[in-house]
Amino acid sequence: MPLFLRNSLIALGIALLITGTVVYAINYLNNARIAELTAIEDQLSVDTLSLDTQFSLLESAPCDSVASSTTLVSSLADLGNRLASAEGQLGADNAQVVRLKQQYSLLEIRDYLITKQIAAVCRTRPVTVLYFYSNAGDCSDCDKAGYALSYLRNTYPALRVYSFDYNLELGALSTFVTVNKVKGPLPAFVINGKRSNGFTSLDELEKRFPKGALATSTPAEK
Amino acid sequence: MGPEAFVYPFLFLALYFESFLLVTFLSKPARERRLATTPLGNPPRVAIVVPCWDEESTVAGTVESLLALDYPADKLSLILVNDGSTDGTGSTLDRFASHPQITALHKENGGKHTAMNLGIAHAKDAELIGFLDADSFVAPDALKEIVAAFTPGTMAVTASMSIHEPKTLMQRMQYAEYTLGIIFRHAFASINSLYVTPGPFSFYHREVFVQLGLFKHAHLAEDMEMAMRMQRAGLSIGNAIRARVYTKGPPTVGTLIKQRVRWTTGFLRNVLFDYRDLLGNTRNAALGFLILPLGLIAIGSGIFIFGLGLYQLGASVLHALSLAQTVPLSYTFSFHNMNWFYLPITLITMLGAALTLGTFAWMVLGKQLSGTPGKLTLNIIVYLLFYGIVAPLWLIRSVSDVAFATRTAWR
Repeated sequence: MPLFLRNSLIALGIALLITGTVVYAINYLNNARIAELTAIEDQLSVDTLSLDTQFSLLESAPCDSVASSTTLVSSLADLGNRLASAEGQLGADNAQVVRLKQQYSLLEIRDYLITKQIAAVCRTRPVTVLYFYSNAGDCSDCDKAGYALSYLRNTYPALRVYSFDYNLELGALSTFVTVNKVKGPLPAFVINGKRSNGFTSLDELEKRFPKGALATSTPAEK
Repeated sequence: MGPEAFVYPFLFLALYFESFLLVTFLSKPARERRLATTPLGNPPRVAIVVPCWDEESTVAGTVESLLALDYPADKLSLILVNDGSTDGTGSTLDRFASHPQITALHKENGGKHTAMNLGIAHAKDAELIGFLDADSFVAPDALKEIVAAFTPGTMAVTASMSIHEPKTLMQRMQYAEYTLGIIFRHAFASINSLYVTPGPFSFYHREVFVQLGLFKHAHLAEDMEMAMRMQRAGLSIGNAIRARVYTKGPPTVGTLIKQRVRWTTGFLRNVLFDYRDLLGNTRNAALGFLILPLGLIAIGSGIFIFGLGLYQLGASVLHALSLAQTVPLSYTFSFHNMNWFYLPITLITMLGAALTLGTFAWMVLGKQLSGTPGKLTLNIIVYLLFYGIVAPLWLIRSVSDVAFATRTAWR
């Protein structure tokens, strides 16, 4: 066999081998990402169910669980960030990402409902934000709105922000949207029960919060 | 499917090329060429032609380095050709004219190829005729290495070039780039796929000029044209990896782009117009099916990836600026999400990293095998920072000049 042909074939084999190894390594890493997301969701699911069960056992709100409920919301936020990152890397159509987003949305709805129950019974006044966005290219301000909410959540850890993909196919989410009377255009917000749409600036968004709500949401130490 | 999907074929081709380089480097012909040089029994007569055009600042050093060559004086003659210089080059050459090994010639300006041809005409008794640009300098043992590389059947031999005393950022970048060129030339020579015999210290058997004729204008790439003419005629071009020659690299972005536009347009015009038959030529499959086509693809992909990168960078910067204006700057610049989970590990970044590491390894090897002096690490960093930005500029300009038939100037 001529030297050039022999070298060409061996080189092709090496190039395919390296590419295959890289593809395998990336796939392995992506599976590890999904596994980590699943583990976090499982833990959150247990925590949420635990809180829910305490409710049932005591037949009233477990007011001493407010602290653990606050921890839950920060874990939910972390999971949300990781899901957004995984969605960016694996694609919004990835079946595992969609499944995880559905589970995440259910956890958020569950936590929101428990928070409302605790607030009613324990006389706490949590500030909750329901944020509805879209990744379908029909919401030019969603990135900015999401970033502004991340900033607010980072600055006021007690602020409870629940983000939902408006287009996610999930029965419970559709009902949640209907119950809260959320309509376009996106982004849409429900801040302590008050609905609003669109995003222009952080200042303008802050004005939509009840007076003094952000101040009582314990600013993070700088 | 986004435009970045088109990057994958280019990345795979680059990976294939590096793999081919590795296999060829490890093959027997290349290994044999790296064996220690055997002492010359009966050194042949050699003439070295130095074409000069306005090189008063460097030509004296060039000639002195030639006079310091470790080669029998009675077998070596130097022919200095002043191609109508307008500075003090002519008087500098005359200073050396009385030396017994030197012939100094003066002529009207007619272009580098005419100066080289005049030198050939005066090298009547030389078996081997070499050339050295007047901004280059040679190591004392370079000629012995070159002559030893003229194995039976080899009709021309190229040297290992590096940048002389790199000072500016652009020169440092070229220093790293040239060490890569050393390996390319070494590997390509082992499968007879060189398509350029560079101005700094390439040598030819006299028979080449008898058989194929003298140098031509060749779109200001006479060294490339001669090599392609040799390839078309089935003549073999070798390489002496330890024959070191140092050349002054263009010091600024502007001068570098000018030089590279001349080289790249010369390559494109010769390959696409005058020597198109070499593409896909089965007589030299390595050149016709791999080296030349990949050379053309590299130009296209360099421009495409640069354009895509610029577009994506612009979009990312605008997006980041838009987000940053939404919240206080202190939040934007604080560290979020420092976790392995968020690492941008994708097929493009991983293959890109593998290719970059491979390139660096070749650079280190090129420096080591040729014995090129100087420090490589800093220059590799400069290469990494600037090459991807500067190279596409001369590629774009070259393609534009060829497409619109714009005349290319020497300087």
